[in-house]
Amino acid sequence: MRDSLGTTFAALADPTRRAILARLAQGEATVKELAEPFAMSLPAVSKHLRVLERAGLITHGRKAQWRPCQIDAAPLKEAADYISLYRQLWEGRFDRLDTYLNSLNNEENAP
Amino acid sequence: MTQPGTHDTMATRTLTIERVFNAPREKVFTAFTDCEHLMHWWGPHEWPLAHCDIDFRVGGTWHYAMRETATGNESWALMLFDEIISPEFIRYRDVFSDANRTINTDLPESASTLHFYAEGDSTRVVSTSMYADAESLKKMLEMGMEQGFKEMWDRLDAYITR
Repeated sequence: MRDSLGTTFAALADPTRRAILARLAQGEATVKELAEPFAMSLPAVSKHLRVLERAGLITHGRKAQWRPCQIDAAPLKEAADYISLYRQLWEGRFDRLDTYLNSLNNEENAP
Repeated sequence: MTQPGTHDTMATRTLTIERVFNAPREKVFTAFTDCEHLMHWWGPHEWPLAHCDIDFRVGGTWHYAMRETATGNESWALMLFDEIISPEFIRYRDVFSDANRTINTDLPESASTLHFYAEGDSTRVVSTSMYADAESLKKMLEMGMEQGFKEMWDRLDAYITR
């Protein structure tokens, strides 16, 4: 899980790739459409797409450039799940501490 | 203080959780620094503390194990205390370990802080955990500043919480 998280974060480190993902979050697009906002050749855009594809962030027909690319939310969800685990861990600890402190208060207040 | 959203948390890689407890600050602080108290609450109900050895001072450690009641499986951890201001503040690192205190470097360490704020007879505890290296943090901060990307996080957030 941690290795794939690393791949996800590495793929997201580049601003062009983030822009491509933001575009794909609106809906599928072809390589040509993805290249338009950038002063960039189709092969250069394809290179970024391959990085995103290896990270599992998009699905894309490798051989046919006209095939539309689609975003895949699963790795992003995994990153969010990872954060959610930390949150659950601390919420649980705080719940138990709260119960414990209240039990101490009750003992002290007992006659 | 509002709870940061998932995308804010992702952008900074720092998780902040806070809670107000109905007890004075000294007492809450002690609950975090004394095995006699930690044994009662730190581990989940099905994973209570089975071992607790705390040397609460800067440079000291807290070596502990949680044991799953059903299976007897143990999970060892080591907390390294980097800064202590009693009863206000603790800065520490959480690492994965074993019964011999050997640090498992394959798993990430998290740099964390605990703040204890007195609020009348109550205490607000704020826990922060930063769970990544500085390089990744820098990348994530750059990422959070991209408007287009923020929109994507919003969509993702909606997707996850639907």
